[in-house]
Amino acid sequence: MDEVVAEYIRRTVLKIPRGEIKTMLQTWGFLSEAQLQTVNFHQIKENISQDVVRLCEENSAGIKQAAVLDIIYNHTYSDKRVWSVYQMNKTGEETEFFDLTDFKKKFKRRLRSALKNVTINFRECEDNSIWIRIAWGTPYKKPNQYKSSYVVYHSQTPYVFISASMLKSNLPLLCQALVVASNYRDIREMELRSHSLNSLKDIVFKRYSQNFQTYYPRPLQERNVAPESADLRIVQENRHEKERIQRVNRKVFGDGPQPKLEFAQYKLETMFKSDPKMGVLDKKEPFRCLVKFSSPHLLESLKSLAPAGMADAPLSPLLTCIPQKARNYFKIREKKGIFPGSFVSP
Amino acid sequence: RGKMDEGKAYSPGGVFAHLEMLEARACEAATKKEETERQEEKLARLKARVEELRLQRDELQAKVDLQQKRQLGKEGVASAPAQPSAQAVLEWKIKSVEAMLQVFYLTGISGKLTKLGVCFCISTAYEGTYLDSYYLDLLTKPEVQIHRHSVPIFIPLGQIAKKYLQTDIRRFLSVLSDHLNAYAGRRYQADQLQEHFSDQIEGTLQRNSLCNLLVFNYNVSSKRKTFLFNVRLLYGDLCCSLPTEVVISCTPDAPASLAEMAAAHSDLFRRVALHKAFRSFSSAEENMD
Repeated sequence: MDEVVAEYIRRTVLKIPRGEIKTMLQTWGFLSEAQLQTVNFHQIKENISQDVVRLCEENSAGIKQAAVLDIIYNHTYSDKRVWSVYQMNKTGEETEFFDLTDFKKKFKRRLRSALKNVTINFRECEDNSIWIRIAWGTPYKKPNQYKSSYVVYHSQTPYVFISASMLKSNLPLLCQALVVASNYRDIREMELRSHSLNSLKDIVFKRYSQNFQTYYPRPLQERNVAPESADLRIVQENRHEKERIQRVNRKVFGDGPQPKLEFAQYKLETMFKSDPKMGVLDKKEPFRCLVKFSSPHLLESLKSLAPAGMADAPLSPLLTCIPQKARNYFKIREKKGIFPGSFVSP
Repeated sequence: RGKMDEGKAYSPGGVFAHLEMLEARACEAATKKEETERQEEKLARLKARVEELRLQRDELQAKVDLQQKRQLGKEGVASAPAQPSAQAVLEWKIKSVEAMLQVFYLTGISGKLTKLGVCFCISTAYEGTYLDSYYLDLLTKPEVQIHRHSVPIFIPLGQIAKKYLQTDIRRFLSVLSDHLNAYAGRRYQADQLQEHFSDQIEGTLQRNSLCNLLVFNYNVSSKRKTFLFNVRLLYGDLCCSLPTEVVISCTPDAPASLAEMAAAHSDLFRRVALHKAFRSFSSAEENMD
């Protein structure tokens, strides 16, 4: 077995938390159950990884099998990477019967025609997604397996999720190959990025809970409501206001869990408004400013701002429009309404 | 007499003091009496007023009734009204819209007016089982447009909207509902198959987002031996929950009798829901053994 492959498998196994190694190897399916029985998964990871490499050698593992293990790892721990969303456009109305074999063939052919040294692997995962792993090389160097890019695609949707850790020069090539393989016309990057791949999917596939007005009240989900004090001497002074805030919040954010985003960034290109007599700025040019909101879970924290009394309800539409506009990077310019936003040309 | 004795007992000027006290009491009593009388008067006046108002109301009601009867009477007499009043037309429109909403509710589409338009709810169901609901928030000014929605991205909402949203909203909703119900039905069948017949399926059930292409392998037994069938179900019509094309293939070493079974299965898949077809396989096998 190739030394590069052996080392790569060893390092991949080392990344996996010890308690998960056995399950992941079983999902991988490259080592038989009997072989897995011979490994002691309670020893230190260093030793486990060496045992696994030894078994892989018995089965003559190649880069293809190693790549599949890497895909499985990244599928399980997709939150460790930052994902961007790309949207594809097509002309025409034909209902395509998505042919996976055809897709793979076209993608590989397109990529390989431009770049000789590239490793491409596919895997269909349980949630109907197609994972593509690409390791990039140059005409003179073999592909670097440790800096692979990952593409996640759901058939019959115009969205592609890319986690790239590659030279910027390879990105257009990747986009081109995707467009050709999926029979679309062009592709553009959306202003939407996050660590949580599932949340990005929720946003663009409209799987997150939105609050729609209907005649049929849906059952209220369990909320963490502080129990009303049994002591009648304690009276809620601002009960009406609190209820109003709850109502407005529910209307804006819906009842269910919010998609998980880590930041929202607003790039201001607006004029500084001050007292003309103060004359802070000599020149009349836009005041460049970047406002960035960060949080382990931005939308949930925005949702809890008003009930916690830290902001007025309703919140600014600049903050609440994030899931609906499917973007968390904004450019705010001067005139015409609140936010024209920036639309990267397709 | 007892009191006078008391006065004598306490002070020399007791009689006068006593008289003063009696006077004061009499004054109090008189004031109270006046007060009560005034209140009674007031009450009586208010009661009279209530009666007055009631009478007025009855009179007015009678007038209104009379007018309405006259109106009806006129319409009954005239053979054909020259032109229905604007009011009547509006009332008729409202009634017909209400009736339409009622009908739509029964077909799984319901709507609610919002501040800026309408919010529709399309409920899906398959053979008696209720499945997901999808929502469309429409704006009606300046033209009908979709503000927000929860329709899955792989349903061709844009195409359907382009065709019908501006011109025929009823058709738009109907076509969209067909798509969603068919998708829900196809997905339900595939889920049911995976849930209840996983022992007959070999490997994974390959499906796509719209669930309109299913490919899988399943076991069939013939003469106590099991063989593997590979089936490819293509649902060409997105508004239909039954496949338009079924291709069943078996391994080259399979006996010829299996071809008959494959044809029978193919026909069954085209006519019957997927999980029901599989249910009939297992019962047929039971009968054979």
